[in-house]
Amino acid sequence: MSPATQEPVIRTRNLTKEYRRQEYHVYALREASIDIRRGEFVALMGPSGSGKSTLLHLIAAMDRPTDGEILVLGHDLRSMSESAVARWRNAHIGFIFQSFNLIPVLTALENVELPLKLTRLSRRERLDHAKWALELVGLGDRLTHTPRQMSGGQEQRVAIARALVTDPDLILADEPTGNLDSNSAKEVLTLLTRLNKEFGKTVVMVTHDPHAARTAGHVRYLEKGMLLPNGEVPEDWAPIHHVG
Amino acid sequence: MRNSLRNRRRSLLTIMSVAASLCLLGVLGAVYNNFYYSEASPHQALRLIVRNRVSLANPFPIAYRARILQVPGVEEAVILQWFGGTYKDARDTNNFFGRFAVEPERLFRVYPEYKLTDVERLGFERERSACIVGRKLANRLGFKLGDKLQIVGDIFPLTLDLTIRGIYDSANDNENLFFHYEYLNKGFGGGSRMDQISTLVIHVRSTDLVPVVSRSIDDLFRNSAVQTLTETEHSFQLSFLAFLGNVKLFFLMISSAVAFTMFLITANTMAMSVRERTREVGILKTIGFTPSEILRILIGESITIALIGAAVGLWLANALVGLLRNAPSTFADFSAIRMPNEIIWIGFGAAAVLGVVACFVPAWNASRLSIIDALRVSD
Repeated sequence: MSPATQEPVIRTRNLTKEYRRQEYHVYALREASIDIRRGEFVALMGPSGSGKSTLLHLIAAMDRPTDGEILVLGHDLRSMSESAVARWRNAHIGFIFQSFNLIPVLTALENVELPLKLTRLSRRERLDHAKWALELVGLGDRLTHTPRQMSGGQEQRVAIARALVTDPDLILADEPTGNLDSNSAKEVLTLLTRLNKEFGKTVVMVTHDPHAARTAGHVRYLEKGMLLPNGEVPEDWAPIHHVG
Repeated sequence: MRNSLRNRRRSLLTIMSVAASLCLLGVLGAVYNNFYYSEASPHQALRLIVRNRVSLANPFPIAYRARILQVPGVEEAVILQWFGGTYKDARDTNNFFGRFAVEPERLFRVYPEYKLTDVERLGFERERSACIVGRKLANRLGFKLGDKLQIVGDIFPLTLDLTIRGIYDSANDNENLFFHYEYLNKGFGGGSRMDQISTLVIHVRSTDLVPVVSRSIDDLFRNSAVQTLTETEHSFQLSFLAFLGNVKLFFLMISSAVAFTMFLITANTMAMSVRERTREVGILKTIGFTPSEILRILIGESITIALIGAAVGLWLANALVGLLRNAPSTFADFSAIRMPNEIIWIGFGAAAVLGVVACFVPAWNASRLSIIDALRVSD
């Protein structure tokens, strides 16, 4: 495993996300403070509605916090414009969804090439990078296949290739194995582990699957919008025993 | 491009609706251009038509011609008397064509573009029951030299028994039949219609003189019992359109209705298309696309569909204009109709504007949607 440095790449303090509908106030996340260091593989666990996806979305700047501080890779995301955040996300974040979210009319190669269209790379360079990423996830022979022609596991691997093709600092995965059978899930988790160990990527993964969480170096739990202190587990939840 | 056509059935229907609308607009534009903006041929530009100021249905004395020929600039004047009548079965529109009583010896001096052999010309001039027909008409109805045909009068109570002695060629307007005015005039047998005509066609020496000659002729008969109206051949042809009412307004109203319908259909389709892709907007934003880039993509797709529709529609319109050009002349002469380049550019421009306007609001809303809201759609 690549050693995690002491430098936190994600730092939140009292991060809060509140939804207001008329007189109702719902806290999706309340005063969450967490430090995640470069090279760490962290799993965020908790029951549905505990706020784990909300925290991940705030880290990816896909959503804006209501209150609190958030520094990701040294950037205060709250002060950046939407366009600046979009460009920052393209350069630094690779996001993996539970439901893959590939563009159905594009081939695997084109889907993976998509984030590179926002860079200054030539078409040839873009395609070379996209092919490399697909080969890395074991889909070098599926370049011209559209999502409809692939299995769920293959689609998720294309999504991982798309997430890593820009060589981002952070890989954020929201329930990446949630829609997969156990074999495909295993392949995806192996890939994430490889990205963390071999390529030194910082990985933050949301999951409620204990098997998936075991592949992470650290597990943090959330409950009712609150990030539990390090080492604490929600009631009725068994703590995760890490493998290796 | 591939995104634009992803929902093939809907994209095809949208393209077809834009194509149908632009085809109609293109044909209307070509017809409008043919009526109001087409330039008169050099021969046409030298001709004036004299008629009764009250209406075309009211005749004026043939004696006027002698005075008209005295007007400086007038070189020749030929009677052009509409006969009408029925050839075979009037219910078959194919049997409809122009039948005019003329003076053969003067006709070719006023209409030098009508070409036929000297033998045919002499045959026409010498025989009172002779007639000539245009090449296009002859081809359409299978007329040959020597054929006999009968026209049963309706406006005039007279049945004409004619023999075809010539088939003339002309760049346009070659679907008429011309016979001797003398045959018609003698047939009146001395009644009130004798020596009364509805139109006289004047050949002017030069185009510069046309306005002056026109004014001079009308001034000549200003204090007469029967006053005249002298106008260019082009204006005269347009006056037939005026019988239909305010044709310009008619064109404008149809074009506006077509354009508005096209807008509604396209706007509805684009809104559906954008709504269907809201989730993808969320994906693109997650990848790093900015709202303005997403707006450009969505509008670009809308423009692509609109422009494909425009290309298909204008191509069809051009084909229809070609058919119209070769179709039998009925109430108007379309022999010189063409699809002007301006109409094509306006058509493509309108389609592009339509693509932007129809898509802008849903595209703007989608591009401004937060990633979380966009990804939640159809989840």
